[in-house]
Formats: sequence, structure tokens, C-alpha cells
Amino acid sequence: MKINTWFGVLDTSRAGEILESRLLSKDIRELALYSLSLRESRSNLPPEGFDLKAVALESGFAESPAEYYSLLHEVTLEAAKVQVSGALTPDQRIIQAVEALDDLNETTNSLSERLFEWYGGYFPESGLGGEDLARFIVKYGSRENVGSEDPLYPKARNSMGAKLEPADEVLLKGFAESVCSLYERRRQIEIYIEDSMELVAPNLKLIAGPMLGARLISLAGSLEKLAEFPSSTIQVIGASKALFKHLRARAPSPKHGIIYSHPLINTAPWWVRGKVARAVASKLSLAARIDFYSGEKDPSLIEKLETKILQIKTLNLRPPEKKPKSGAKPKKKRRK
Amino acid sequence: MPEVKKLSDGIFEVIKDKKQLATKNLDLGKTVYGEKLITVEGVEYRTWDPRRSKLGAMILKRFNIPLKKDSKVLYLGAASGTTVSHVSDIVSEGAVYAVEFAPRSMRDLIGLASRRKNIHPILADAGKPDSYSHLVEPVDLIFQDVAQPNQAEIAARNATRFLKKDGNLLLSIKARSIDTAANPKEVFKEEVKKLEQAFEPGFEILNAKDLMPYHEDHLGVLAKFKK
Repeated sequence: MKINTWFGVLDTSRAGEILESRLLSKDIRELALYSLSLRESRSNLPPEGFDLKAVALESGFAESPAEYYSLLHEVTLEAAKVQVSGALTPDQRIIQAVEALDDLNETTNSLSERLFEWYGGYFPESGLGGEDLARFIVKYGSRENVGSEDPLYPKARNSMGAKLEPADEVLLKGFAESVCSLYERRRQIEIYIEDSMELVAPNLKLIAGPMLGARLISLAGSLEKLAEFPSSTIQVIGASKALFKHLRARAPSPKHGIIYSHPLINTAPWWVRGKVARAVASKLSLAARIDFYSGEKDPSLIEKLETKILQIKTLNLRPPEKKPKSGAKPKKKRRK
Repeated sequence: MPEVKKLSDGIFEVIKDKKQLATKNLDLGKTVYGEKLITVEGVEYRTWDPRRSKLGAMILKRFNIPLKKDSKVLYLGAASGTTVSHVSDIVSEGAVYAVEFAPRSMRDLIGLASRRKNIHPILADAGKPDSYSHLVEPVDLIFQDVAQPNQAEIAARNATRFLKKDGNLLLSIKARSIDTAANPKEVFKEEVKKLEQAFEPGFEILNAKDLMPYHEDHLGVLAKFKK
């Protein structure tokens, strides 16, 4: 009987005696790669309760238990390192980028607001906000520096804002520069996501758009997982709170999760939104599967989706008449 | 001067201001997850937070933990290695086979294992013991904390393959990962029944207690494999 172990192949008799052994050299890297190659093997597995250490000592691979464990430690460590470094696939990079983008949005918004409040004391009439304001401050600093060619010149002249002292001006300019660079970084990440989505998941990008597609991958954990989800799961990804409320209690089921941001869904009239969401989700799941398993772009997918949506809309032109709720509890009157 | 009480092999209670679970630090001077180091009479102890470790909670719930300093342990669901580090302290002359499926957690685990010689990290799916059967020797204890819906089945498969005769299984069952909607008590009953009956030859349940107040909706189980 042949038995594969991390240190070599053994040939044993029925009684468990070693007849022959083909041992590997004690090269850690080689042993680690060999161990990884055995992961998928379905044949020559060690039988239940097979004592690897005893056999390693008997066959002469290791001279002592201490040496056995020391080698095993090095080999498992090396193998795990190889696996971890291979785990950063392109879809994982997209996930990092999407999450970085969310963090960036949050930070940029709160810093922008701070800048707005802060600079508002010196030039409240500017009417600028967000990136425009940040750029304005970087360019001029105090409103006194606004030149006559700028459309804001009259407002800057007659502003009721306080005078900006040099020390404050330096501070605000620096702050505004940081905010500007955050906006810059945001654009850079968006472009990165668009480009990577085209390479990693072109069909998903086609149906969902780059950002929604990337978010779906991020929420699923990987493109592989997304491809394995049924379309009903894709339909409600991102609405887990509502979904579990529905499963636990008698709350209505959610019609859509994060795919709500899809233009076909959020522009649909309310009475077909659930149907549209279902159609979109089914095509999204097809797209994810094509992307993961074949990777070829299939433009017919979006056409089919559009025909389907059109069909749903023509069949449901009018909102349904509201039925009086049967069996449901009468609404409690609010007491004051 | 802090006082030290031995609870069982390698597991201590250090009393300094308050009672704290602790193990002897194998990796002197280093902490793993921000726990405290307390030195008593030249021995460095690492405190063990039961709220961050199911095993720690089980000890405080008076589970009889069958670990000795030369025990071999198969740890399924090693995560970042918070609890693994304490097991590594306890089995200072033994071995911990730490199986974890998530590459992100494995990254932390590799950092830990590179400083502790008795941890052997394995990146694999605990539900597929065949994929690491060429690495793991028969063990005295399987500790499983995997948060999978089929945890009982995973335990049985690994026990069949790797558990020594008279070996034990320590299991942490998370009700929410089996059925999010059902009542945890019902889920626990079902799972315990499954462990006892669904597989050949089955487990004999020695102890089963919930892990409140340390972990909500978790059941700790100590079982023996009938081999």
C-alpha cells in the first residue's frame, strides 16, 4: 500500500511494516512545495490514525522527535507563506480599493465640512463648498488676495467675514491642500477600480457598472463567492438587517440590497421595483459566473436584461390598487 | 505580590487586584494581542481574556481541559491565533496543528507561529481533512471553533481521521452560524443530538454548557470519541 506523506512516499505491507520508502531531501522549500502539491491528491492518503512521526523516525527521515517537529514547523510555515502570498488575487485588490474608497469618502466629507465651517468665518459669502472651496483656499488664502478677474471679486471685497491673520492663513491653506489631495486620491482610486473591473469582471461591469460591481465583489468576499451565490442572494446583499428581520419576525422581505443603486432599479416605478430587482439580480449572477469561469465579455447580456425590463414595465403599466389589509392587526392609534 | 493558583496543567489563575486566567509565556517578553504580562517569582504569566477566547471561557465554566505539556492538539478554526497562543503556552513540549481557512487570518497566524516552534500552521478547509492528512499525526485533543453550519460533521470527520483512542473533542458551537432565526437553545439541543447520533461511531458528551456571560449564544461541548 502506497502512502503519501509530507516527507516522502512510503510503501507499507498490510501489517503496517515499511517495505520501501522514497524520502525527500531536507530542503525546506522543496518539502513545502511538495506538501502543497499533496493538498488536492485523493489517492494514497494516510489511513485513519496513521502515525506520521513514528514512520518518519522509523524510515530514517528524522533522527529524533525534536528534529521531526522542527522540520515540520519550518515546512508548514513555508507552505502557509506561499499560500498567503498567492491569495492576493486581482479581485482581492479591487476589494481593498473599494474599502479604501469608502474610508476616503468618509474622511473627505468630514474634513470638507470642517474646512467649510472654519473658512466660513472669514468669507461666508463665497457660496463654495467641497472641492471648489478647498481649491479656492489653496489658490488665494485670504479673500483679500482675490484678483479682479475672479467672478467672486465683488463678494470678496464686500464680505462681512473677519480678517484672516497670516498664522491662520498658513494653517487653512495647508488644511485645504490636504483636502484637495484627498479628492485627487478619490478620483485615482475610482479610475483604478474601473480599469481593474474591466480586466477582472467585464460582464459584471457591463451590467452593474464599475462601482456597484466592485461593491458586490467586496460584500461577497471574492468574485468566486459572488459567482456561487444564487441570484436571490445577490438581490438582497447589503440588506442583511432587513432580511434577518424578515426571517425572524413577520417583517416584509427586502426587495433589494445594495443593487438598489443600479439605475434600472432606482428609476423604476415602485410597483415594479421588486420585479426589476429580481431581473437585474439574475443577470448579475450570470455575469459574475461568466466572469469567474470563462472571462469572456458577452454584450448580449445587457440587451436581454433591457428586453426583460421593458417586458415587465409593459405588463405592469399601472400601480396595483391598494388592497385593504386582510387579517392584519388594525393600526394602533397613537396616544398622546 | 501577586498570588498564583494552578487550575490544571499549564493553566493558572493569577491574582493581582483581581483574579485573572493566565498561562506561562513561552515567548518571553512578548504579547500577542495586547494582553498583560505578570511576572511572579521569576515566571512570566500571560493573562487570558475569556471574552476573547472560547477556550478561556470554557475553563472558567469549569470544563475539565484534558491538556498536558506534551499534548498534541489539532486546532480547527485557528483565526488570528489569540487562543492558539495560549494553547501553545500550555502544550510547551507538544504540538499544535493550527488549521485556518482565511488567508487574512493566516497572515497573523504565521507571525505568531514564526516565534513559537510548537505551532504548525496549515491553511486549509477544516471540512476537508484529506487535504492535510499528509501533515497531521494522531492527536490527543481536537479543539474546534469554526462557525460553520455543519460543525458537527466537520468534528466527526476530523475525529475519525486524527483523534487518538481516548482522545477528546472540545467544541464551541455558535448558534447563530447554524440557524440565524431559530432559538439558540433548540439549536444546541439539535447539535448535541447530532454529535451523539448522526455519525458512526459517534461522540459521548461529557459536558455541555453555554458560555455566558463571556460569549452570547455559544455552547461549549467536551466530548469523547467512541472508537
